[in-house]
Amino acid sequence: MLRYIFFRLLQTVVVIVALSFFCYLLLNLMPGDPVEILIQSNPKMTPEDIQRLRELYGLDRSIWEKYSAWIGDILKGDLGYSRTYRVPVSEILLPRLGNTFILSLSALLLSLFIAIPLGILAALRVNTKVDYLIGLFSFGGISTPSFWLGLMLIIIFGVQLKWFPASGTYSIENPDNWLGRIPYLVLPTLTLSYLSVGRFIRFTRSSMLEALKNDYIRTAIAKGLPRTKVIWKHAFRNALLSLITMVTLSFSGVFSGATITETVFAYQGVGKLVYDSILGNDFNVAMVSFMISVSMVLLFSLIADLLYSLADPRIRLH
Amino acid sequence: MVQSYWRVVWEELKEHRAAVIGLGVVLTFIVIGLFAPIISQLFNISPYQQNPLQRYQPPWSTTELPLSERVLLVEQFMETHPEEARNINGMLHSLDPVKYQTTEENLLRWIEQSYDEMLKDLQGLPPKQQELLQRPIVSRIKTFHLLGTDELGRDVFMRLIFGTRVSLGVALLVAISSSLIGLLIGSLAGYYGGWLDHILMRITDSLLSLPLMPVLIVVSALSFEKLPILQMFSQGNWESIIKLILILVLFSWMTVAKLVRAEVLSLRERDFILAAKTMGARDFFIIMRHVFPNVMAPLLVAVTLGVGESIQFEAALSFLGLGVQQPTPSWGNMLFNAQEFITEAPLLALIPGLLILTVTISFNYIGDGLQEALNPKSFKR
Repeated sequence: MLRYIFFRLLQTVVVIVALSFFCYLLLNLMPGDPVEILIQSNPKMTPEDIQRLRELYGLDRSIWEKYSAWIGDILKGDLGYSRTYRVPVSEILLPRLGNTFILSLSALLLSLFIAIPLGILAALRVNTKVDYLIGLFSFGGISTPSFWLGLMLIIIFGVQLKWFPASGTYSIENPDNWLGRIPYLVLPTLTLSYLSVGRFIRFTRSSMLEALKNDYIRTAIAKGLPRTKVIWKHAFRNALLSLITMVTLSFSGVFSGATITETVFAYQGVGKLVYDSILGNDFNVAMVSFMISVSMVLLFSLIADLLYSLADPRIRLH
Repeated sequence: MVQSYWRVVWEELKEHRAAVIGLGVVLTFIVIGLFAPIISQLFNISPYQQNPLQRYQPPWSTTELPLSERVLLVEQFMETHPEEARNINGMLHSLDPVKYQTTEENLLRWIEQSYDEMLKDLQGLPPKQQELLQRPIVSRIKTFHLLGTDELGRDVFMRLIFGTRVSLGVALLVAISSSLIGLLIGSLAGYYGGWLDHILMRITDSLLSLPLMPVLIVVSALSFEKLPILQMFSQGNWESIIKLILILVLFSWMTVAKLVRAEVLSLRERDFILAAKTMGARDFFIIMRHVFPNVMAPLLVAVTLGVGESIQFEAALSFLGLGVQQPTPSWGNMLFNAQEFITEAPLLALIPGLLILTVTISFNYIGDGLQEALNPKSFKR
């Protein structure tokens, strides 16, 4: 087991390094660099100035040199400076990570809270009207474009009814009031959770159906066990196995942020930061947030595998 | 009774009501997309005709083109029908020598008046000339907008119809080509195994762990001029669409590859493959003749679900302003333009989104129905 974890971790690190180079390469192919932006804003710059600035920023070096310098800094704990905000990356990233964490976690919890009971209900009432209605609801969740749902919620609840603020993260008068943030969270949370509710319901339903098909369920019913006991003790416990994987894998998204939803609601999370930094050529910020979400995905898929083997003794990892 | 496999599947699929409805919806939209230019001809409304004075008109409204746009129409007419234009100029002069003092450029003077006065002058012309002017000029000046106009005064209904073409076209192309790539990579990895499998699957898993949306944003913001191979794609008005298709294909073949690999892995050990091998069949033959037909079923489901997903990604990228570029309409970029004025013209944002939702949900139901129909356990014989 420990050997397995060790090798998986090693593999994960290799993949992260490879992907970081891939992302670095991609971002380097983006048009424009900070010096070009400076040239545009200051026509008096001489070619010597441009050359000097390029050297200062290290833009004249080859991609390999730049990449090894960057990864060296990262290993030393220096995440670099944001070109747009002119502060260390960690200084802007940390509050954003916090905001995203609150939003994604509440959306995840809300969607699980809705999806698991509905999924179980659909599985128990399979091929009835209830099942079809829940199916429609979940297909709607899978098929709704997130930005459109966001826009509609803004129109209805933000603009027409004025129940909740249409966008933003906190009120400008008192940003430190944590309770005051709740109204700002409602609409983005609803949007985000409806998107995942569909997947969760379908997943719960199919794993519950799978569990109900087992022979021991028939045996349990045949020997006269009460229905609730069969459902919760025999079926649900086995359906829980695949649910664990699903929930764990969903946790990996808690820090990577929801680019589109956050952009629509102008919510100051990582997703919006990534979007802004890519468009604004803010190289270091984009790279660090990329790496965070990649690492989260890989780490949580490892955790999911481990949890799965813990929960089901039949599965041996090797 | 002996039935072919696909016949059985079709019979099964027909039982799934939602899938049948979905199929109907999807086919309708495909027909609309295919016939978009003909529909535009039929209504004589162009999706690109701008009207700066009549922006954000409500549904069911009629607008008239301003002079600047009318002049363009007349100039176009004079270019395509020089002979008749000269003719009509003369006729207008003899019709009303006070208004049309010379025999030249009378068409331009004619369109300067109000629409009713124009019609009155038109009545004075012989029927053949009336007919000639009707389609290219008269009926284009006063137009009826079923769903109102957008931020440049263009007809929303026509743009939605042409948007169907772009959105569905992109999604179908992406889903089909990414499945082909997935099929190729998955079957190579599954059939040969060993180091090839290892490398291909590591690449697949790595791509799967990338945060999709940010990566798509980065790649769409790239200028293709920096990559010499892709330069040939970066020309003409199709640039943004071709670029979008390439990007989406590049990042959506992975699930199909994994699916096909798993299927091929289990097929590889079957007796009929062994039999083919002992009889001396080449790998290529075995893959084409024995492996592919067996992975068709899961592949079909993957393609169907992939179309729905691609529509969403196209819309999302176009919504961020990185996908299909103006003036070409797509459902996503119509939403992008609508979001600035959602309070004044909420309908502009509502309809494209509803269309995306309808089509995606239809594809998902078809996929669901297919999955059930293709499952051998559900066959009733």
